[in-house]
Amino acid sequence: MSRREGSLDPQADSSVSLLPHLEAKIRQTHSLAHLLTKYAEQLLQEYVQHQGDPFGLPGFSPPRLPVAGLSAPAPSHAGLPLPERLRLDAAALAALPPLLDAVRRRQAELNPRAPRLLRHLEDAARQARALGAAVETVLAALGAAARGPRPEPPAAAAVAATAAGVFPAKVLGLRVCGLYREWVSRTEGDLGQLVSGGPA
Amino acid sequence: MPAGRPGPAAQSARRPPPVLPLLLLCVLGAPRAGSGAHTAVISPQDPTLLIGSSLQATCSVHGDPTGATAEGLYWTLNGRRLAPELSRVLNTSTLALVLANLNGSRQQSGDNLVCHARDGSILAGSCLYVGLPPEKPFNISCWSKNMKDLTCRWTPGAHGETFLHTNYSLKYKLRWYGQDNTCEEYHTVGPHSCHIPKDLALFTPYEIWVEATNRLGSARSDVLTLDILDVVTTDPPPDVHVSRVGGLEDQLSVRWVSPPALKDFLFQAKYQIRYRVEDSVDWKVVDDVSNQTSCRLAGLKPGTVYFVQVRCNPFGIYGSKKAGIWSEWSHPTAASTPRSERPGPGGGACEPRGGEPSSGPVRRELKQFLGWLKKHAYCSNLSFRLYDQWRAWMQKSHKTRNQDEGILPSGRRGTARGPAR
Repeated sequence: MSRREGSLDPQADSSVSLLPHLEAKIRQTHSLAHLLTKYAEQLLQEYVQHQGDPFGLPGFSPPRLPVAGLSAPAPSHAGLPLPERLRLDAAALAALPPLLDAVRRRQAELNPRAPRLLRHLEDAARQARALGAAVETVLAALGAAARGPRPEPPAAAAVAATAAGVFPAKVLGLRVCGLYREWVSRTEGDLGQLVSGGPA
Repeated sequence: MPAGRPGPAAQSARRPPPVLPLLLLCVLGAPRAGSGAHTAVISPQDPTLLIGSSLQATCSVHGDPTGATAEGLYWTLNGRRLAPELSRVLNTSTLALVLANLNGSRQQSGDNLVCHARDGSILAGSCLYVGLPPEKPFNISCWSKNMKDLTCRWTPGAHGETFLHTNYSLKYKLRWYGQDNTCEEYHTVGPHSCHIPKDLALFTPYEIWVEATNRLGSARSDVLTLDILDVVTTDPPPDVHVSRVGGLEDQLSVRWVSPPALKDFLFQAKYQIRYRVEDSVDWKVVDDVSNQTSCRLAGLKPGTVYFVQVRCNPFGIYGSKKAGIWSEWSHPTAASTPRSERPGPGGGACEPRGGEPSSGPVRRELKQFLGWLKKHAYCSNLSFRLYDQWRAWMQKSHKTRNQDEGILPSGRRGTARGPAR
């Protein structure tokens, strides 16, 4: 592990005995992100199928509703230093589980006879949590963890909500599933750079 | 008009939507800050309607006044653009829609009615729930496994499809006292079933019914009254063994153990056996096996593999007069009859029901003769068992004689295997 603060070049100091373990952890986390990217794509497809057309139609472009506590990866994300990118990835992955849980609860009312969709939404929340924790472990091992406490994601009961109709709820669920896919894909890309020993 | 209790007024028959645990900074219908864009609101939001009824809806645009206009707006329903003649402009900012003779909803999450701007962008949406109130569920049947639980199944109302999510709730109570209880474990043996795992009383009748509810109303089945003891079933008999009967090539012996879960209760078990040839799908059933744990199958084909299963009906528990309910069949057990040099005779104890060619006239006549003998002669020891023993002895001596005389199975003479003369 490099002693330079924030450095993410695990190959810089090969005399560190923990290096092979860290490299293994990075590869493992990258593999997990790769797998979850596929699952996230499948979840999105399954979600749109259960909302009915036009959700599954090509060219369907609902308004991209902002979601509290989470936005899509910014266009400038790729230009950030790798530690900062991974910190943003970890923060997004930590914010996703309560959002996915909320979508699952709403879908349990709208599509009670879709147990697979409900199970996959539940799995997605768990997987996001696991991937986020793994990324934070990697960051901590590299000495690049976020400083100070991370802001808590909005708690379910504490957040005021506009009473939304069913259609906006469907659109919002689509947005959350889309964000999940974008962030796991982004995490896979960022970790991939770490695996290949790219510049910090 | 479909039967069933009428629900709330159709167009306002929706529950208030639950609060989403998210802060929506911008929802469809609220203007976006600083964008200059316009959004809209559809009314009514998420209506519930009967199949065949009509819907009048409006899409009201607000936002940038100079840009907000009803001209150019259009509607889609489930992604399909609706004919312009169904819409009309009410005023500069409101487009109305009339849909007549609505069909049932395409998906349980509701049909997506969307208001679009001229450029195709989505301004607002509303989900339509078009369907029927539930009809009375019927044909409730229940059974108890070893008197420990109760599982019930029912058929949804006559037409089944309501096009709306319909919730079924199985209720039960003790007949003369007690409060209503609701079953909680659904879909245990199919989509319309429920399992009550514990805390059931014996020797006292239960009343059981099913309530069906959807956005358009509810319906209740007739009440079924039953005593748990009258609907008992049990596990299949364990330890089913099938074996040959000495050298008899047309018989197999089947033995089993009575189901252990009910061994402490007084009951008269009935058993049924079914068997089939290995490469056949046709089962033959032996159903006159009362309160025994063994049976001999006769009239079988020699040199053939048979699959055998047994099931149990624990009728008469604690004096119940009802028929009881058959258990599932035991796992198949296989055995083969010995090979034969000649076709075996037909018939025997635990005979199959018809169709078996070797349950022929000889054996039938012998059975009748033995029955007559028992009535009119002092031959209480005569039985098929004795007859089979005699047959086994006959076959043995027949083989030995053939070997001595060098007779081949086909009846032709061959080289003797015995010592040279």
